[in-house]
Amino acid sequence: MTVAPAPEPAVGTAGTVASVVDLKVHFESKAGRVHAVDGVNFDIRDGETLGLVGETGCGKTVTARSFLRLVPMPPGIHAGGSVLFRPHVRCSHCSGSGCEECEGTGRQPVECTVCAGAGCAACDHSGFETIDLSHISERELRGIRGDRIAMIFQDPAKALNPALTVRDQIAEVFAQHRTSEVLERAALGTSRNPLLRRYVSQKSRLFEKALLAVPPLRSRRQRIEKVFDDMVAAALAETQIPNPSKVMQRYPHELSGGMKQRVMIAQALACNPDLLIADEPTTALDVTVQARIIELIKELKGVHKSAVLYISHDLSLVRRVCDRVAVMYAGRVVEIGPTEEIFANPLHPYTRGLIAAIPSRANDRGQLVAIRGTVPELIDPPPSCRFVQRCSFAVSICAQIDPELETGPDRHAVACFIHNPPEGAAEVPSFSKPTS
Amino acid sequence: MAVGTAPRTPAAPLAGALGTRLRRFTEIAREVLRNPTTLIGAALIVGMIGMAIFAPLLIEPNTPNPYQMPRDWGALNEPPGTPGHFLGTTQQGGDVLYGVIWGARTSLRLSIIVVSITVVIGLIVGSLAGFLGGKIDELLMRLVDVFLSIPELIFALAIAAVLGPSFGNIILALAAVFWVKYARIIRGQVIHIKQNEYVDAARVIGDSDLRIYMKDVLPNSITPVVVQATLDMGNVVLIGATLSFIGLAEAGLAEWGVLVSQGQAGISAGRWWASTFPGLMVFLWALAFNLVGDGLRDILDPRTESKR
Amino acid sequence: MQIKDYVLRRMMVLPILIIGTSLIVFTLTRVGGSPVGIYLSHEMTPEEVAEIEQRYGLDQPLPVQYLTWAGGMLTGDWGWSGVAAAPVRQVFPDKLGATMELAVAAGIVAVALGIGLGTYGGARRDRLPDHLTRVFSISGAAMPIFWFGILLLIVFWVGLGWAPIGRSDADIFQSIAHPTGLYAIDAIIAVSWTAFVDAIWHLLLPAIALGFGTAAIITRMMRSSLVESMSEEYVDAARAKGLPEKLVLRRHARRNALIPTVTVIGLSFGFLLQGTVVVEIIFRWPGLGRWMADAVLRGDQATIMAYVMFTSVLFLLVNLAVDVMYAYLDRRVVLGT
Repeated sequence: MTVAPAPEPAVGTAGTVASVVDLKVHFESKAGRVHAVDGVNFDIRDGETLGLVGETGCGKTVTARSFLRLVPMPPGIHAGGSVLFRPHVRCSHCSGSGCEECEGTGRQPVECTVCAGAGCAACDHSGFETIDLSHISERELRGIRGDRIAMIFQDPAKALNPALTVRDQIAEVFAQHRTSEVLERAALGTSRNPLLRRYVSQKSRLFEKALLAVPPLRSRRQRIEKVFDDMVAAALAETQIPNPSKVMQRYPHELSGGMKQRVMIAQALACNPDLLIADEPTTALDVTVQARIIELIKELKGVHKSAVLYISHDLSLVRRVCDRVAVMYAGRVVEIGPTEEIFANPLHPYTRGLIAAIPSRANDRGQLVAIRGTVPELIDPPPSCRFVQRCSFAVSICAQIDPELETGPDRHAVACFIHNPPEGAAEVPSFSKPTS
Repeated sequence: MAVGTAPRTPAAPLAGALGTRLRRFTEIAREVLRNPTTLIGAALIVGMIGMAIFAPLLIEPNTPNPYQMPRDWGALNEPPGTPGHFLGTTQQGGDVLYGVIWGARTSLRLSIIVVSITVVIGLIVGSLAGFLGGKIDELLMRLVDVFLSIPELIFALAIAAVLGPSFGNIILALAAVFWVKYARIIRGQVIHIKQNEYVDAARVIGDSDLRIYMKDVLPNSITPVVVQATLDMGNVVLIGATLSFIGLAEAGLAEWGVLVSQGQAGISAGRWWASTFPGLMVFLWALAFNLVGDGLRDILDPRTESKR
Repeated sequence: MQIKDYVLRRMMVLPILIIGTSLIVFTLTRVGGSPVGIYLSHEMTPEEVAEIEQRYGLDQPLPVQYLTWAGGMLTGDWGWSGVAAAPVRQVFPDKLGATMELAVAAGIVAVALGIGLGTYGGARRDRLPDHLTRVFSISGAAMPIFWFGILLLIVFWVGLGWAPIGRSDADIFQSIAHPTGLYAIDAIIAVSWTAFVDAIWHLLLPAIALGFGTAAIITRMMRSSLVESMSEEYVDAARAKGLPEKLVLRRHARRNALIPTVTVIGLSFGFLLQGTVVVEIIFRWPGLGRWMADAVLRGDQATIMAYVMFTSVLFLLVNLAVDVMYAYLDRRVVLGT
């Protein structure tokens, strides 16, 4: 496994909640091997919102799904690299309200169990417990899914099960990750009865349910259901759904698109995750609802202080929501940096094109600027800059060598020879020398 | 791509359409042969239809009526492997192999007659309902619903019973039952196409209903009808053999269902062969057409592809 | 509210279909044979025959004859069965009990096998178990019941001598009451273990023979709808919540896959009903199907008419029930979204 091109050390500075390290996800197809994600690197810091932008098919959704290993394999292939995740606990100094120690996030990472904080290979020399999401067992992964890392899907109409009520779907999260808490709240915390514990974690089979339907267990089961009801209602209330205890009895198709997405958000934040992955959460919604959902995500982020990975193809949206932005192109991150920095001073020709394509008052002649050409085929790509065919500044080396993502000033990294020319190159590209 | 830029003479679009249809056909044929399950089905069909067609060459036809089982009174209840009776004989001295081979011919006759009659009836009823619409459509579709509310076999059984037990009446009974699905398919297509804009466009140009029918409705209905007909080639033999098993065909007929029924009496005495081989043929026949019919449906209907 | 409307609308069509069916059945019987036959027993004198002709209005025009017959069907006068040498109505309940016992047992076999195998195969898409269940579902649909039944007999009755043939005729069944007519259930009611085992033992082979094809149909539908629902986003969403794969399958994928399967179970009930005719012949089961087969061969029109009417009404009712259940399970059907 190749180590990422040295992200700045996490120890001492703002913590990193997750790092994507040289991640490669390929797909086997009839035409050949599609390099959908081909060496992606970036970090997500505690409590920040990182925007992941790019065109359709650039690999941003595959990258996001790789966090929770939701890419179907086959046809997907994990071709290398990994996603590292640092689980957090409530900050011991401020018990979650946010302080100097935790830089306002209310959480702090856990000490590495291998090296006790000294820094070792297992924790990527950070001293904090680091979980390699790409390689842990299914069982360990399940413990993280929905609890420490949660996901909001693009189309809530498809991501909610039509055959289950809202309440049942949100309750599932608590059933999986808050079994003990549910039992405690139902005043059954000391109960040794395995039937009840299995019931809470939804493992009960038919005959067990039959047992639980008759006294004396019946009343306890009802108490458990009541606890679930309360927890679900509380989660829903947080997303400003009016009358949550009514809404939760509904089926998804009885709710509007905006309501469904609120349900998704409530479900994702139910266990107060360290990282929330939002995969184009407003794309499938009406324009009028979009703004409200975005505001809601921002607001809840403020409350929960979770880090957010916000995936979008809409740059103007990302500008409003995100602290930092990573621009993806054809399976690679080509530029990453603080949002203001990216918009004020885009370094990669592709980013420049994207920003120029945003309709604004500067180009208001009724014209939309487009980047010429189309995204290249990702089947067995040659070792060259992926953008070379569409780039106005490309020179011969751009087609021969693959530029790497290199960090410049202001933690602003770019993968382009204009800024990081290779040593001894005969010809170096430059923004002042358009080649086509 | 250069092919598409042929000069726009009146003949060219027609030739082009024929060309694309032909290309589509070869494409489908290639798909059928690429999929192992449909390939097995196709091979079985070729084998069994070949057996039906070349039956007189494979085994000497019985005189005067080759569809009647020959009787060898000197060899009753012989097990398989007996010289001259490779698959054994029945209680009446009928050669099981003869029944298997000529039964294929009987089945081919049965299925081709029934399927072609039902397709034609379905075509007429479905087109009438779809085109005329209104009261007639309502009436015809209610009739279809009524026909569908009696289970196939029981309906055919009742009809055959009323007509009297004979193989010809089995054909009639099956034809009376099997047309319904085609009527539904065709009517659906007609209504679907009538709603399409290009038919409106054709009307504006001044095409007559008949021309629209020949040019748009029929070609678009071919796909589902072909799939259904392929499946029915198997189902007709399956139900037909069941009817003759129950006893609605003439007793000495060289037909698989009849043979199974006759062989049934001997199984308690251990004579398994007289039922087993003819029954196997019914199974293989139905299986082959089912395999190919399902394969065709998957190939022709892109929506179901993911389900395969 | 809307579900109620839907059910009402479906129920309103029902009488139309039943009347249509009765018209077809009536027309059929008038095509062949003397109409008086359905009311005749063998020992009747010509005077009695004439009297019957008059009683049933067989000298009247056809519409009147139809009404008389239909009225008879409604009021319980189903005519005289030549095969059973008794009024149809009188023999019917016993035979119905035998057939229902067989059909219910086969239905249990088919649904359990079909849903089980379909889920098992569909959840392991494109791997060996999936291919095997597909072979099963394709060959099951093409399997002639009469052949499969005979194969079962050859192997288990003649060859191995394990299974009995025919319905249980143990002495014990003469001594216990028959409140349901289904021996296995009667045995449970009478709390007789030996009778129950004997009844099940006799049921086993015919139920498998009858349920096999239906199981194949259900397997196929269950598999394809499970494969479809496994590719739905809510399944990924369930995984993203941290649910173990078992629960993802049980609570999310299978629940939704069952909805379309339910309709197929309803439709395949007709398949099951018609199969009883053949299975009852092969396994010497004294039910409606065998009676019908005999009636067909001997031109016993009253039995044929009663049987066809009864089966199609039953078939229609089952399908209505299934549609209602479907609407209940998948409310989107009714609400039209």
